[in-house]
Amino acid sequence: MADPTTQTRTLDHGTQPERFARGWHCLGLARDFKDGKPHAVEAFGGKLVVWENTKGELGVLDGYCRHMGGDLTQGTVKGDEVGCPFHDWRWGADGRCKQIPYARRVPLRARTKAYETVIRNDSLLIWHDPEGSKADYDILPPELPDVSNREIYTDWIWNTVPIKGSHCRELIDNVVDMAHFYYVHFAFPTDFRNVFEDHTATQYMASKGRPDVAGGYGDADMFLKSEATYYGPAYMINWLEVDYKGFITEVILINCHIPTGPDSFLLQYGITVKKPEGLDDKTANFIGKKYADMFGDGFLQDVAIWENKAPVQNPLLCEEDGPVYQLRRWYEQFYVDVADIEPEMRARFEFEVDTTKANEFWQEEVADNLRRIEAEKEASVVEPVETSEGAS
Amino acid sequence: MASFVPRSPETLEDQRLYTQARLVEVECLDCLARVGVKKNSEHQTSVQWTAEAQAQCPDLVRRKAAADGARLVHARCPRLAASIEAAVADGRIQIGAEDGY
Ligand code: FES
Ligand SMILES: [Fe+2]
Repeated sequence: MADPTTQTRTLDHGTQPERFARGWHCLGLARDFKDGKPHAVEAFGGKLVVWENTKGELGVLDGYCRHMGGDLTQGTVKGDEVGCPFHDWRWGADGRCKQIPYARRVPLRARTKAYETVIRNDSLLIWHDPEGSKADYDILPPELPDVSNREIYTDWIWNTVPIKGSHCRELIDNVVDMAHFYYVHFAFPTDFRNVFEDHTATQYMASKGRPDVAGGYGDADMFLKSEATYYGPAYMINWLEVDYKGFITEVILINCHIPTGPDSFLLQYGITVKKPEGLDDKTANFIGKKYADMFGDGFLQDVAIWENKAPVQNPLLCEEDGPVYQLRRWYEQFYVDVADIEPEMRARFEFEVDTTKANEFWQEEVADNLRRIEAEKEASVVEPVETSEGAS
Repeated sequence: MASFVPRSPETLEDQRLYTQARLVEVECLDCLARVGVKKNSEHQTSVQWTAEAQAQCPDLVRRKAAADGARLVHARCPRLAASIEAAVADGRIQIGAEDGY
């Protein structure tokens, strides 16, 4: 092999997987499907139908009727079943056709793809596996104590962002990407750790906002302590402790996604805030909204990068970068057959990065920026005639 | 079935470089679990466990049982951390790559 230090480096775009990850996927807040109508959810390269039966349970089926392909999401909920708009075949949540109003009998073979469902932390989760295995309830994301109790937590703020032109692994990469918090989210990471083990991947980070740029994760007065764990390929719980001038708020951020196609996914995030003692609901909800906006803007900052970047199988790293290759090795377990999972995909891996070096450099850069901003301010005071076009 | 298939054979070499190169075997002075350790700088450490080592570390086993799938406690095993520090002090773990990684 030629000497890599004298060679021009090329990006290996790789070939994207032909399948979607095995595991629990969150479709959104359960209550949003409970209005007596069938709902359409784009997922796994197709479309799903979601509806509520008479017992308040949610059913999830492939969206297309096995009779003549009618779109069940445009059908009608009839009792416990969803009726197809084309010829009214009635499908139950177990995937069986229960009734064909104009026929004497239902063919025994009338079975469609049904997804196993669970309500967890007020959300609807479904099990997806290209190999068709039974759902693994042992690896469900944990239940968050009291999160459904509106006396203790504010109501969820739930948002969705469709992403086109990127594989959802771009989102996963964030788990290890310490440096992008400074450049993309305008925050100083002061402590950064990763642990991958079994089906979980965790990022710990403490950070504070940059004083020289607005619109990132907080400002210079805000300290964030964040612990974020992926439980499987697509559902992350992010426990956040926000310290704003000594006032501490506990925030829970759910960051989840549904792959919709080979290079598209629906990003979803939900926020709830633990109501601080002595604070009325209105103020608590206001805080919730504020953080939802902040993290929502954060995701949009990522999206702007993803939509323009190239896919890369061979990232080039420096010594201060996070363990991208180990994270991707962990993520791979959800894309191979269970029989092909390698032990090192699930073996524990720990990483602690030294943020001091990067931080020294960043602090200096920020100080330069602040000096420049100050100088520009002074200059504009001297020459009041020259009005600038906004402050961007 | 493979996924995310790289197109270039050199990518495999990158995968090896970043996940395996410079991993030095360190044995925990207490439980004798053997892990791979890499340091890119004084304060930065990667620890690669194996299933056997995980089962051997009483600290990890205890914490895993206590967490029972819920919010995990991820701090490092303090005894292993001390063993790694000792290995660094002995000069058994080289700090940083020679070529800037
Ligand atoms: S296509 Fe659905 S009932 Fe005929
Ligand atoms: Fe990000």
